[in-house]
Amino acid sequence: MWKVYKYTLIDLARNKFVGGWMLLLLAISLGLFQLEDQPVKAMLSLSQVLLALVPLVSSVFSIVYIYDVMEFTELLAVQPLRRSKILGGQMLALGTALVLGVLLGAGIPLMLFLPNSASLTLLLACVMLTLVFVAIGSLIAIKNREKARGVGLGLVVWFLFVLVYDAVLLWIMFAFSDYPIEPWIVPLAALDPIDLGRIMVLLKVDLAAMMGYSGAVYEKFFGNLRGILIALAALTAWVALPSSFAFRAFQRKDL
Amino acid sequence: MARVVFENVGKKYGKMWALREFSARFEPGETVSVIGPNGSGKTTMIKCLLGLVHSTTGTIMVNGETVGPDPSYRHHVGHMPQISRFPNELKIGQLIDLMDDIRGKDQGRAEGPLVRDLGVDAMMDKRLGTLSGGQRQKVSAVLAFRYAPSVLVLDEPTAGLDPLSSEILLKAVRDIKRTGCTVLITSHLMEEVEALADRVAYLQDGTLRFLLPPEELLSATGERRLSKAIPAMLINHTRSHVESL
Repeated sequence: MWKVYKYTLIDLARNKFVGGWMLLLLAISLGLFQLEDQPVKAMLSLSQVLLALVPLVSSVFSIVYIYDVMEFTELLAVQPLRRSKILGGQMLALGTALVLGVLLGAGIPLMLFLPNSASLTLLLACVMLTLVFVAIGSLIAIKNREKARGVGLGLVVWFLFVLVYDAVLLWIMFAFSDYPIEPWIVPLAALDPIDLGRIMVLLKVDLAAMMGYSGAVYEKFFGNLRGILIALAALTAWVALPSSFAFRAFQRKDL
Repeated sequence: MARVVFENVGKKYGKMWALREFSARFEPGETVSVIGPNGSGKTTMIKCLLGLVHSTTGTIMVNGETVGPDPSYRHHVGHMPQISRFPNELKIGQLIDLMDDIRGKDQGRAEGPLVRDLGVDAMMDKRLGTLSGGQRQKVSAVLAFRYAPSVLVLDEPTAGLDPLSSEILLKAVRDIKRTGCTVLITSHLMEEVEALADRVAYLQDGTLRFLLPPEELLSATGERRLSKAIPAMLINHTRSHVESL
């Protein structure tokens, strides 16, 4: 697996898109910190951008990359290598490259302008979301033979998580506001990884008004640290489940 | 012991059988040309052997090992696909290093069969994304022959190669055959088939129509060229007669 990992990473290191992604993050982060007088406000704006953009780029790039190297994957699959090692190496390399992009592109400005635990939590949420969407993207690419269909599906999934699911949750909250539904919000919010990332960040930022409904519920139920740990555990499950489905699908796939 | 054994191998895509009840034994040191029209199941048959496609029915044995999730049988298999694409940003030398690494064979990049003959040694620092189709075929050929395979699968190997390189490749096929390697080769070029094949397998609609030495095909049809003998064989002989041969 480490051999596939190493050479996929060499390929990704020279990939223009990965470099471009890092530079884009750097430009956005620096720009926001320059524009706002208060670093906390800049960090909050940045968190909104990152929590939407990181999942989008991670999933679409993973999908496109896995399609693009499919013939190479075939070449690897006729070598004496287990399929799980091929996919494991590729997914790990994708995760490493994209996580490095986030850490260098957004991490450096965050640590320069606002070196506190909130910034660290934001970075941690972005790292987790990168891994979640690399897993989801890989699963989509393996399950669908056509690239256009795969990318389309990736966009739909991102849109569902970034916007639609939150709107549905809000609607449920309003529709059932007369009932004690708060305990239900915890597992319901965990069904959306982007929501989990948002909750993690907002639990660390001292702005109750920005927390949103599900964030407030998480804080009320678990307190700050426990809430973050539980959100982190749920995000880990969001990496593990799509990955294991992707491995199973790749094992059975006709290349 | 036969080198490669197919027993009732079938592959179904959706409702369509791409390969049906394919049974054949391929011996050490023989070269078998697999021919047939487009969509006849040649590539499916090859992909089943390589483990790229999971057969719906039947079993395949290579050197006595069953083709399945255990990849160890592929230590002895070399493959040159019809079209190769490699990661754009890797250099040829790096790709060869990776393959050497996977196979656990530590030899110099420029060593090994075909590397110098096809001029690949001079291209080690070229990025794979910048290669022409023919150059990619050369890299594929080098990788297929590199690990002393006992089963070599070549899918349209000379398509896209210049005449000189084609000739070098075909000579390498003849040479490796002498070492006892079983070669399966698909081709649309009858001259190639005539020049190399000990037996010809003809597939049509996923079914093996015949598997015969070229001389038998010629004598059974009274033709002098394979390109004429094969259609004549299909027209003149009923399937049962062919099976009885």
